[in-house]
Amino acid sequence: MPTNALIRDLQSALGSSNVIHEPEDLSVYEYDATIERALPDVVVFPATSEDVAAAVRIAIKHDVPVVPRGSGTGLSGGAVPIRGGVLIVLTRMNAILEIDPDNRVAVVQPGVINLHLQTALAEYGLLYAPDPSSQRVCTIGGNVANNSGGPHTLAHGSTVNHILALEVVLPDGRLVRLGSRVPDAPGIDLRGLLVGSEGTLGIVTEATLRLVRQPPAVRTLLAIFESVADASEAVSAVIRRGVIPVAMEMLDQEIIRIVEPRIHAGYPLDAGAVLLIEVEGVSDGVAADSAIVEEACRDAGAREVRSADEAAERERLWEGRKAAIGAIGGAAPAFYLLDGVVPRTKLPEVMTRVLELCREYGFACANVFHAGDGNLHPNIMFDPTIPGATERVLDLGGAIMRACVDAGGSITGEHGIGLEKRSYMEWVFSEVDLEAMRAVREAFGPSDRFNPCKMLPGGHGCASGHASEVTAHLGAGAYV
Amino acid sequence: MTIAPSTDLDAIRAAIAPGSERDVALYPIDGVEPAGAFEPATREDLATLLRIASEQRLAVVPQGSRTALALGRPLAAYDLAVDLGGLRRTVEYVPDDLTVTVEAGRRLGALQAELAEHGQYLPIDPPPSDDVTIGGLLATARPGAWRGYVPAARDLILGMEVALPSGERIRSGGRVVKNVTGYDMHRMHTGALGAFGVIVEASFKIAPLPEASRTLAATTPNLEAATALALRLWDASPALRALTVLTPSAAALVGLTEQPTVILELAGTTRTVARSAADLRAVAPLTEASSEAWTTLRATHGDSERTVLRAGVPPTATRAILDEYERAGAVAWSHLAAGAVIGTFEVAPASVTVIALREASERLGGFLQIESAPAPLRHEVPSTPGDAVLAEALRDRFDPERTINRGRWGAIL
Repeated sequence: MPTNALIRDLQSALGSSNVIHEPEDLSVYEYDATIERALPDVVVFPATSEDVAAAVRIAIKHDVPVVPRGSGTGLSGGAVPIRGGVLIVLTRMNAILEIDPDNRVAVVQPGVINLHLQTALAEYGLLYAPDPSSQRVCTIGGNVANNSGGPHTLAHGSTVNHILALEVVLPDGRLVRLGSRVPDAPGIDLRGLLVGSEGTLGIVTEATLRLVRQPPAVRTLLAIFESVADASEAVSAVIRRGVIPVAMEMLDQEIIRIVEPRIHAGYPLDAGAVLLIEVEGVSDGVAADSAIVEEACRDAGAREVRSADEAAERERLWEGRKAAIGAIGGAAPAFYLLDGVVPRTKLPEVMTRVLELCREYGFACANVFHAGDGNLHPNIMFDPTIPGATERVLDLGGAIMRACVDAGGSITGEHGIGLEKRSYMEWVFSEVDLEAMRAVREAFGPSDRFNPCKMLPGGHGCASGHASEVTAHLGAGAYV
Repeated sequence: MTIAPSTDLDAIRAAIAPGSERDVALYPIDGVEPAGAFEPATREDLATLLRIASEQRLAVVPQGSRTALALGRPLAAYDLAVDLGGLRRTVEYVPDDLTVTVEAGRRLGALQAELAEHGQYLPIDPPPSDDVTIGGLLATARPGAWRGYVPAARDLILGMEVALPSGERIRSGGRVVKNVTGYDMHRMHTGALGAFGVIVEASFKIAPLPEASRTLAATTPNLEAATALALRLWDASPALRALTVLTPSAAALVGLTEQPTVILELAGTTRTVARSAADLRAVAPLTEASSEAWTTLRATHGDSERTVLRAGVPPTATRAILDEYERAGAVAWSHLAAGAVIGTFEVAPASVTVIALREASERLGGFLQIESAPAPLRHEVPSTPGDAVLAEALRDRFDPERTINRGRWGAIL
């Protein structure tokens, strides 16, 4: 059996204590934060870039797939080893290798937790802008693989805008450096191509990050609306007045009623929706921008706009946002978190459609999302023990994604395609477009080696149907 | 250099709209005229032309405003000039979404004028001027003075359409401001000098046009003091849009006293700019200067009559490169926050000098690109595309016949 020889080779290269293969141990690594599950054949915990390269070369020798994994917080099944093989867990590689405050650069290993980095940078008055809501747990390597966003993407852009260089193990086992410590390196932007490639093109073993200085002044506004429609209108109204806040987040009534009793962030329970808006800059600029934001919100129907300048006050307002997804876990047996994206001006009509669809399918839906980016996150709550419920939720998810595509948007703004949305890729891209993406993948190595069956539809030995078929295959009980 | 016989062009003449052919004398590169020149009126015609050229193994050089033809290695062959000027429409502009989709041949200036009507702009300032085309600025990916404070052009792209030598047209991304659907193929095409296809359309995230801008400058006793001051000012204000250290010769070039100088630009709301100017003046002896300085620096950076080098090094190391440039006789400046050090030479330096400068930049963790130089120097100090194995594997799949810009990245690519 090739697995035994594979395990022996991995043990001898990485040390026995860094390789696990007993079924009861493996089951810890069969999932991420989505619906799908699958067991790896073996899990390794490399300590160095060379360990990762060695593990990849051994996997090549035994002709088995390789799947990288950070903290397993992914929301598209990207870290699920759907065809088994070697799961490379990068959490041991969690050193901040260098902080160069004078040049606003940090060099980190892939297993560094996003928030740990932020904490280390705070003493220099610096920050790494991408702040996904899972930042207390998620790793920088995972952020790179998924091109993660977060509330502050609105002004600062997604992860790719903050990655200067990467050290990567390629599907041929080579360890290469892409990009430079300095922005705008000449040549082909392979660094940019790698970011967001969901572990299909390379495994990040080191990342060089661009840092920014903490702003001198920040104000967080809470605008309270009677309806999601009014709040959606306010989002475009703010932008139309020439102000780009650093964050513009919406919470609807359903989520407010889940979060507020648990977190006490100060969101009114009778509000139809709230917008959490943040502006930053010099103090005069913040004051001026806040006034414009407030006026735009009131014109769009806000019944009240509160503001907070002190860190503690601002953090309390944000706490409700950041804890929202977790709070849903306490309010429903299970929920399915979606990640559609639409042009900002289409937000009012698409949100109306999302709520209609949820009613049609008979599920409660809580919305907490990056409204400024047009990035929706409907959370469909359901009870997976009810026969057929999971399948219906996945169908509803498909219908919502379809509505986003029909509005000129797309099926993922920041969570990635992974396993979950592979079959929806054809809604967005033509066969010729997908063929070009396959060509990129093939240029990096055989497509069934790194994270097979992810991102692109089709593929040798991969299920061809919708995510719901994958779930049917996995059986009941597979849910968030 | 091989030149195709004119009869090879008949298949193209027959396949695309009449009236697309242009005078070859208008398209010389390094003193060589192509066998044929076309300005396709549609993207379909462009794709058809590429397919026929690829089938006949002709070498095609796509061209916009022809301002960056001295970038990259000298061409290995030049059969056909393809002028993108026929593809110059704005396809879609939604001011409330802050997004715009344009064809590759549209001039940046024309786009900026259109966006300005709605108080918006595309926040990039590539060399030499707004005369560059969208396709050209993306394919060459040359940063300007704002780059330390605004995203690179590649970071503003939401989606792209590219014509391949196979005759197919492929799309990536979309028109939404946040999107991780599939590979960011458009990143592969930025800075690639056409290695994987000809950009025909791009969608961008745009920004509100700043209400006000102001240029301030401070002279200093020496470059060390200038760089130290710039490092202090680097992120002293959120309104900064450019911050540049000028060597004395560069200061003279932009009409300032011939002394080491720090020049900066503030942009934003009137109130923010005023407050920032006051804040910065409290820590540095800054006086008002003309915004024309930026236009001059940008034009000089993009002057293809000169030899122009662009080094990228950590900001704290920019002075070392400025010193090296000065010793080599360059008019030089550094856009500090991006670590970009520009050196321009009236007379091309010896290749050993350029190689030494490149090595010095690499030792500091950075790079050096020849942005413009006479062909012999570009031949002797070849530019490289990055990881050669991946670059070749990608080129094999997207342009197996090496139809587009043959030789720009070297013999194999």
